[in-house]
Amino acid sequence: MSEQSEPTGNGHREAQFAQEWRNAAYNCYSSGHKFCREVCPVMQVTRDEVHSPTAFHANIVAMEQGHLSVEDVARDYVHCTQCGACELRCPNTLFTGDFYRFRTRTVDVVKAMRALAVDSGVHQPNWQRWVDATAQWKSEPVLGDVPVSQDHVADWAAGLSIPVGGETILFCDCEGAFYRTSVPRAAARILQAAGVEFGLMREQWCCGGPAAEMGYTDRAREFAEHNVADWRQVGAKRIIVFDPHDYIAFTEDYPRYFGDDYQFEIVLMVELAAELVRDGRLQLTHPVERVVTYHDACRLNKRKGIHEAPREILRAIPGLTFKDVDHVTQWSYCSGAGAGLSIERPDLTAEISRRRVERAAGLGVDTLVSACVWSERPLSEQGGKRDEPVDVVDLLELVAQAAGLDGGRAGPSATSATVGTEGTEAAQ
Amino acid sequence: MTATTVSDPVVEELVQICGADHVFTERSARYNRARVPAPFPVHRWSEYVPDVVVLPTSAEQISEVVKLANRYRIPVVPRAGGTGLTDGAVPLRHGILVDVKLMNNILEIDMDDRTVTVQPGINMLKLNEELKPYGVIYPDDPASYPCSLVGGRIGTSGWSLIGGRYGHTRDLVISFEIVLPTGELIRVGDGGGPKIRKSSTGYQLKHLFMGHQGTLGIVTEATLELVPRPEAEFAAFFSYPDYDSAWRSTGSLAKSGLATLAGVVLFDEWKLSYLRRDDEAYIPQPDSVRCVVATAMYGTTDEVRPAAKRLLRIGQESGGNYLGDEISQGDWASRHDRYATPLHGRTPSGQVVPMSWHCEDASINWTALPLVREEWHEIVRRLIDRHPIFDDWGMFAYTNGAFKPWGDYLTEIDVGIWEQELDDESWAAWVQAKRDIAAVAVDHGGSISACHGACREGEVDLVPREMGGGFDVMKRIKRVLDPLNIMNPGKYLLDQAYEEGEPS
Amino acid sequence: MIGFRLAGQRPPEPTRVTDTVVTRYEHVYEVDPALMTEHIRQHDFPAWETHRIVASRWEHLDWMHAHWADSVVSADELLADPPL
Repeated sequence: MSEQSEPTGNGHREAQFAQEWRNAAYNCYSSGHKFCREVCPVMQVTRDEVHSPTAFHANIVAMEQGHLSVEDVARDYVHCTQCGACELRCPNTLFTGDFYRFRTRTVDVVKAMRALAVDSGVHQPNWQRWVDATAQWKSEPVLGDVPVSQDHVADWAAGLSIPVGGETILFCDCEGAFYRTSVPRAAARILQAAGVEFGLMREQWCCGGPAAEMGYTDRAREFAEHNVADWRQVGAKRIIVFDPHDYIAFTEDYPRYFGDDYQFEIVLMVELAAELVRDGRLQLTHPVERVVTYHDACRLNKRKGIHEAPREILRAIPGLTFKDVDHVTQWSYCSGAGAGLSIERPDLTAEISRRRVERAAGLGVDTLVSACVWSERPLSEQGGKRDEPVDVVDLLELVAQAAGLDGGRAGPSATSATVGTEGTEAAQ
Repeated sequence: MTATTVSDPVVEELVQICGADHVFTERSARYNRARVPAPFPVHRWSEYVPDVVVLPTSAEQISEVVKLANRYRIPVVPRAGGTGLTDGAVPLRHGILVDVKLMNNILEIDMDDRTVTVQPGINMLKLNEELKPYGVIYPDDPASYPCSLVGGRIGTSGWSLIGGRYGHTRDLVISFEIVLPTGELIRVGDGGGPKIRKSSTGYQLKHLFMGHQGTLGIVTEATLELVPRPEAEFAAFFSYPDYDSAWRSTGSLAKSGLATLAGVVLFDEWKLSYLRRDDEAYIPQPDSVRCVVATAMYGTTDEVRPAAKRLLRIGQESGGNYLGDEISQGDWASRHDRYATPLHGRTPSGQVVPMSWHCEDASINWTALPLVREEWHEIVRRLIDRHPIFDDWGMFAYTNGAFKPWGDYLTEIDVGIWEQELDDESWAAWVQAKRDIAAVAVDHGGSISACHGACREGEVDLVPREMGGGFDVMKRIKRVLDPLNIMNPGKYLLDQAYEEGEPS
Repeated sequence: MIGFRLAGQRPPEPTRVTDTVVTRYEHVYEVDPALMTEHIRQHDFPAWETHRIVASRWEHLDWMHAHWADSVVSADELLADPPL
């Protein structure tokens, strides 16, 4: 009934892959208890086992046995935001990962399988176009048909008199640089108000994280090499990032590329802002009259265990009513925007965001605050569609407002407003 | 007997019933729905792969799929969470796999008559997160609490860690709707009313289907009990220098008569050695700690506090040494998702290897526990001697009664299996060991399975012995309700029901 | 200023607790690395990974207590307040 698959040209590559990932695969497959299923934002919507972390690992065992090829499964691996909920919740991590110094690594498995697909010539069409455009323009095509370019990558900083270079660099990710420019503007104004010296890169390229997440590892490496070279050329010692995706790239991907040569200090803006407020270097004196709840950014909460600093900041903002949902409950929450899901399955991202916004609305808030600029586009779209809209703002935008800083209108910039929220889908 | 190949006309009809988006023939969809967490002969994976997968969204669709299966004589295998431990959801004859996970809605919360009505694809932890604001809980609490689904709980007649206080799945599910093997949709409960807990009208059909392992139909909806959310939780773990005192103390604690006592768990010496392999709560316990007994209570604060004092006194007077709050509370909280870690596997030389986990789950009376423990460990020791890819992870005994924590115990021996090294010879040895383990349970007046079911290769051979005359009744019921042997065929030796002549 | 530095993530050397268990951080135990050399290798595990997992475990257990009941009764407290 079920015959062995015919050997393909990719057979040797797959066999090697299965060998390399064998222990990781069996560590899940030998258990198979699926504590991951209900915390996975994709599984909560599709309920389809082929999208489960269990299947992502089992496929490798199946590959080893010759039952499945990368062609059979490549599309399944699209269905993951690499939020990290599954691998954290898995008892093999949560209860014994530290004991064995061996944990479940679904994010790495997904990235590796996506890379295997790319290396085997199996491409996801929208991802391929996205990465090609990024390689061409050096920034991600976040404005759809409206091109992004190096000529405009620092336009968001107009009027802020930020120098180029220095020991401390503020890295601005693509979504912030071109789409939601109020976030980097807020970050810059906060740093200036607190007397933190910083500059911009001479030539800022995409961090390379998205390419790595989609399996385009050579491109990812190319961007990383360029960025680090630029940092070295201006004598940078410290890189401030506000986007959690960049934080992951710079604290996980880049160390893997550069090893012990990688000496930079990576500072997360949200942790820095909390410190500035705590130390009195930033005064939050202007009340912000909103009823808010906080969306734990996946790459901060689940992937890094960073969940206290944003809450500390929110509790320090005068006028705010803060209705919190604890960060463990939020292991199951997500905007659905990460790891290219919004580019290949925007309908799924929309549904995941819709559910996130509904959870917030159920608390009786008027605002959902996020610390991840990538989550804010789909969340805003869903928040705006409601009969009783829920406003979605970035934590830094709120901080800038509370500090009386003119960071610009909170939300997407004038340029991106003409593109609307279909930008990512329109990258054809 | 069902043996028909699934062909394109069948797939086309399934698409008509369930919609193109919910019918899957791709290899990954089928290969990923072959196994459950019970140890699996990986090297024979293809034998267990379904021909087509459907994800229905309504009882009507399920009914039509089952009728189609009867027309074409194709097996149907229901799958809820796929987290069971007896291979209930593993297709033995390929066929149509009916995956109910998309049906995971809460249909109604009735705070007046204290019921919640749900679809079979919902998980209990997720359900209880939604119920929390109402001040109620659905306390069906297996070790798979965060991942098993209501449909499977009915399919296995699940056991709850706190069943000694709140009852088990069969006590907590009030009624449910089920598509029979011939496609009709009926509701079963104690009686006919969906929210009636106790009735004497007609035969007690609900219990017939509890634990049917998908051989008598597919559940489409269930009405569940709502219990007041506990104000207080109390957990106390005691240590003992030997098994005998731990066993006696278990008896004393379980028979204490304290209404808020939810469960008592006895850890044997092998289990303590196994737990010493990893940090959790047992390092740095002195070697004199050989066994442990865990207890837990739930209720209102003014019930639990005095009861807890009495329980502590009983524990200490029966030879137990209280292990402290950090261990007790930490370990108790981890019991809701306490599955075995693959990396706890060890080769005889002590090297770490990832192992799959077999969890035996016999029901054994308290008086028989010490002997069963000795015999089981001996069986596993002989197995390891011949095949060092197995590992003894020790035994637990958990109170098994509903609403009363005494009498019988869910008795578990955990065996690690190095799946990467499995071959036909070691698999055959394993199957024989399971047969031997099951025989011990039956010979001591127990039951092969407290809660997983007894469908596993090896142990299933002893089901007729355990059931005696009941097995014949079971076959007759199966033949009557499923004349063409469509529903999960091959499970429980029920093919024997069809051996006298062709089905009509 | 708080930041991530790769150099600061190197775990300390282990000290022995039992013949199969070692420790690097207070109250955090690990398997003797010598037991993971033949069949399965340990991962590169920077300090932040260990701390994240340990913290998450305790937070998860607290969450589980709160999920099931409004309060937890302490036996240590009951034992300290005789008579039982």
